[in-house]
Parts: sequence; structure tokens; C-alpha cells
Amino acid sequence: MSARIIDVRGRKVAVAESGRGGPPLVYLHGFADVHGIAADLTPFHQRLARHARVIAPAHPGCNGSDELASASIDDVVFHYLEVFDAADLPCFDLVGHCVGGWIAAEIAVRHPERVARLTLVGACGLFVPGAPIGDVFMHAQPERGTDLSSLRALLFADPNGATAKRWFPDGRGDLDEEVRRYQMLRFGSFMGFRPPYFYRRELRERLYRASMPSLVIWGGQDRMVPPAHGTAYSDGLSDARHFAVIDGAGHAVHLEQPERVADLIAHFHDQHPDEHAGAQLESTARA
Amino acid sequence: MSDGVQLYCWHFMSYPHLPADFDEKYDTGWVTVPNSLWDKDKSRGLYQQYIDQLAYADELGFDGMVLNEHHQNIYGLMPSPNLIAAALTQRTKRGKIVILGNLLPLHLSPLRIAEEYAMLDNMSDGRLIAGFAPGSGPETFNYNVASASSRSQFWEAVDFIQRAWTEPGPFEYEGRHYPTRYVNPWPQPTQKPHPPIWIPGSRSRETLVEIAKRGYCYFLSSRSHGKETARSQEMFAKILAEHGKRYQPSRMGILMSAYVAETDAQAQAEAKEGVWYFLKNCLKGHLRREGRQLTFGPGIPYIPAEEFRDYLKFSDPTTPLLGDAESFDDLQESASIVVGSAETVYRRIMDILTHSKVGNLLIQFHLGNMQDALARKSMRLFATEVAPRLREDSAKLFAREFPEAALVPEMAK
Repeated sequence: MSARIIDVRGRKVAVAESGRGGPPLVYLHGFADVHGIAADLTPFHQRLARHARVIAPAHPGCNGSDELASASIDDVVFHYLEVFDAADLPCFDLVGHCVGGWIAAEIAVRHPERVARLTLVGACGLFVPGAPIGDVFMHAQPERGTDLSSLRALLFADPNGATAKRWFPDGRGDLDEEVRRYQMLRFGSFMGFRPPYFYRRELRERLYRASMPSLVIWGGQDRMVPPAHGTAYSDGLSDARHFAVIDGAGHAVHLEQPERVADLIAHFHDQHPDEHAGAQLESTARA
Repeated sequence: MSDGVQLYCWHFMSYPHLPADFDEKYDTGWVTVPNSLWDKDKSRGLYQQYIDQLAYADELGFDGMVLNEHHQNIYGLMPSPNLIAAALTQRTKRGKIVILGNLLPLHLSPLRIAEEYAMLDNMSDGRLIAGFAPGSGPETFNYNVASASSRSQFWEAVDFIQRAWTEPGPFEYEGRHYPTRYVNPWPQPTQKPHPPIWIPGSRSRETLVEIAKRGYCYFLSSRSHGKETARSQEMFAKILAEHGKRYQPSRMGILMSAYVAETDAQAQAEAKEGVWYFLKNCLKGHLRREGRQLTFGPGIPYIPAEEFRDYLKFSDPTTPLLGDAESFDDLQESASIVVGSAETVYRRIMDILTHSKVGNLLIQFHLGNMQDALARKSMRLFATEVAPRLREDSAKLFAREFPEAALVPEMAK
């Protein structure tokens, strides 16, 4: 694992990287995640890095990245286009979880030529009637000053299991981790505290523009972004190859079952070689 | 001779008809407290009773009446304090009408607040004190205020209103949040250049600097008054000095609660029900550890991360809050709710004034489900037996502490 700061038009962006060989894979994080809590890549990312060069930027304001003055979904999409340019990534595989999945989907519908293969894990971003996205902000306010069990129930299948308690312990946890949790909530609050709550109604109608091979992965017990959102993504994306619902896992499916999720992505990439990216690179070279 | 302390009567208009087992059955009195608990029959005449209590405060010679804005809770039934203020303009003659305040980021446009406050200033013949507040955690949940931008929305709205009251219209306002082609409110306020403006703040330096620069009055939004209140006053005085201004007690106000009866024992016996209804029910979700507190924390991330880091370093999530008090002795420590004979209440408040040197005391008399007759008796005893001594002695205190500007020679600078 290596962490570096890249300069994007005068803004600092913290990027964690792992894996030498393989095509570039950009990972955009969520709440219960690297950068959202942990400083380093997690076992999920490490396993992905066996197959790919994993590049995981911290969202604006998170874990060493500078905050944007305004962080609407459009501001953040433009931010990432600039990050990809600065990191010399014309075309890459894209994986996003939670809010990161929403950002990934917005990038994929706007710039399908840059995304070789898309994986969405528990992604918000869609409006699905009758299946609202949970209020992470209210649940982040502990009960009795210290009890985060309802937040864990939103994010994990087993709210009182060791994994859930490692990521969201009761009481005051490690100070740096507490600050990173706060930074991620603050970043998220720009995009989802007020309506639309972590979604854009138009995105569903635009999903067809994401023409790359796509994989959708969901925790069967996701109580933050209900699995109906996975169905909607799977139905809407032009070339969704597989919709994997993992029973016994919640919103943070990649923390609860890291190997399973990483292997699903690796398998998906093996099944669908990156022809798209190769063609794009050629056309870029010709131009 | 300095003016003595200004004494205001603050009414929160709490919902008084909760079932006796409310605390056992419900985890909050805010935002998600089920409104099926509203009893329409018992609640008939409730607003009238509360407005009558405020009109009585005016008769008793209080310097003013204080209202504020709350939504979707049992703590304060005034989603629109301006409606109650309008009623008070017709029921009262002398006292100031303090609205502390309208929650600016909750409104579509600050123009509406400039208009309504100007109406109230006219309707009351220049008795309005205009408070502006950003709202805190519960309001961000109630009204979808994106908390990370609420501060910048708030200060822009304050600028908007001050300009709408002082610059000839029509003019175009080029703001980030409230761009408006035609700013030209009719009516204009009665008071010139504009009604006094009060702004609540905790100990955020940024807020105090803005208040100091603009010449507003700082209302400390804390219900407890230990050493922190004195420290806030010192911090505000220092910031004023940095901006070439001098602290005067009239520049700062605090909130407290009081109950006065014939003796200490009688006061505690009479206040007990209302005080504990207030602490256990009204503060549940706000200033109690029990349940889910929505006022401040990581889910309402309006302060920058580095400020939050400092908050984490210097706070303990297991420290009891005001609503966790179990006895009158606990309450005495926080100097938040002062209960006793006229002598006791005088002494305790004089103690707060001596330490904090604030010139505006905003006092809540009606607490929780307190009976009308008790609230009125307490107000009357306060007005007749406590207030005159406080006014006289605080005037002496302030004269000692803050001699006239002329006494500070220019050359001493």
C-alpha cells in the first residue's frame, strides 16, 4: 500500500494505491470504508489489488483531501474528472460503494468512454419509490451519548458483530478515526442531507448511457440503500452482466464479506476482458 | 450611572399534556415524537393561557417578552413566533417584544423575515428586538437544512435583512444563496436605523467576531451558567476590543429559568412537577443523555473537521447534561434553573451577574406543565420582590465594572 498526495489544480487529493500489475482500477469509497474511517486500504482492497492496480482517492474533505467550497454531486463529478486527468487515467475500471457508487454511476453515464468496466456496490444515487435511502445522519447521533447500535444496524447485517463494532464502536473511539467518520458525514451532508437525499431522479433515465459491462453487488440485508436500488441499477444500465445479492451481508457488504466481493469483481473482469479500454487507448493515441 | 440589568420574561410554550409514562415509552421529545399524543380537547385555550401569561409580564413591568422558533417538538409550540408576537403587539403596551429568533436558513427568502419583522416593529410602535438564529440540529432534520452550508446561508441572510432595512430600495442583491432582483420591502421598520439585532452563539469565535463587527447583541445560547458563562463574556469583550469597541453589559444576554415562592421549601414543592416535566420530557432529545440527542454531534456536521477534533478532545460523551439532573442540588450546580424564596433567587442571580457581567437576563418562568396560577405567582413575586433589588444592585455593579468612557483617558491607550 502506498499513500500519496496529488495536486489537482491547487487542491490536495489523498490517494491510496496498491497492486503493481493489472489495469488501473479506481475505487470510490462510502461511509463505512477506507477514507471514511480507516486510513489504509482494507482487506477487500488488498484482495482486489491481486488483480488490478487499485487507486483509491479520498473524497474532498476526507482523510487528507482538501474540502471543496461546494460539494454538490456535479461539483464532485467535475472534481473527479480533474483527478483522473491529473493522475493520467484516460480509461480505467471503476468501482464505487455507497456514495462512491453514486459518483461512479454519474461519471459512467457522462463519460462512458473513460470507464472500461463498472461495479456498483450498495450504491445510492437512484430514487426508488417506496424504498427510501436511510438517514445516516440521524443514526450517527448516538443514543445515550455513546450507543451507535442503530447506525450499525443501518450499515451491517449483524449490528453487534465484531466487524460492525470495529468500524463503529460505542463511545469515543480512536480520535483520528472519529474525525474521519465526521469528515465523511460532512462530505456526505453536502450531497444528501437535504433533498434529494443521496439521489438524483434523472439518473435512472440516464443509466442507459453507461454502455460498459457492469456488475451490481448488494448486501441482502442492506438497510441503508435497500436492494430494490440494486435491481433498479441492474435494470437500467445498458450492459449489466450480473446482479449479485449476498445474503447475510448489509450495506457494508465489502467489509462483512471482503473476499467474496473482491472475487466477484475479479471474476467479472476475467469474464469480460477490457477490450473497450484498449480501443479507447488506441483512439486516444490516433487523435 | 449605568443602567441596571434588563429583565425579560421568556415563554417557550411547551406542550403540557403528555402522558405520565412518556419518558418510559418514548425516546425523544423532538422531531420524531409522535403527534398522535396531541390532545386537542385538553389543548383548547392553551395558546390563550400562554399569551395571557406574557401580557401579565408586561403588566408586571418586565422589560420585555421573549419568543423563539421551534418545530415538531414538545419543547416549544411556536413554529412561527411572529404570530404570537403579532398578538402581543395588541395585548401589551410597554415591554420590548424579543423574537430570538427567526431561524433564517429555514425560510425560502430572508425578504419575508425583513417584511414580517418590519410589520411587527410598526404594529408594536417600535418595540421589536429582532433576533436571528441559524437553528441547530433538530431544525436541520425538520427543514432539510444542509448543515455544512447553514452558517454561510445564515450570515448572508443577516446581511440581506440589514441592507433591506437600511438601503433605499429597490436594489438587486447578489448573494450566493439568496440572489434577489428586487429588494424593496414595504413597510420599513419604525426604529432607525433598524431594530436592535440579537444573535445567539455558543463559544464559536467566528460568530462572536461577526456580532462584534456588526454592533449586534450577543445572546449566549447555553442554559447553564458556571465558569463558562464568565469565560464567554471575557472572550466577547476581548473580541470587541480587537475591533476597537468596548464591552457594555447591554451587549450580552443569557437565558435562565426561575421559580419564586414564599420560602425555599415551598418553592421546591411547587416547582417540582413543572421542573421535572421540563427536564425529563422537554429536554429529551436536546439536553439529555437518555434517548437520542439531536442538538449537536457528528450527524449535524456544520463545523469544520478541525473544530470537531477539538470538541472531541475536550468533551466527554458520558458527562451528564442539564436534563439528567436528578435533584434540586444538581440543578443548583448548573445555575440553570433557580428555585427558591425571593431572597435566595435574588442572591443566586446577583451571583451570576457578578461573575458574568451580562446586562440582559432572559428568564423562563413557565416550565413544562407548570400550572397557570403557579407560573403567575412566581412571576409576580419575582417582579415585586426580586426585580427591584436586581435592577438597583446591578446598576451599581455595572457602574463600578464599566465606568463611563470619559473615565478612560485617550492617552492611556
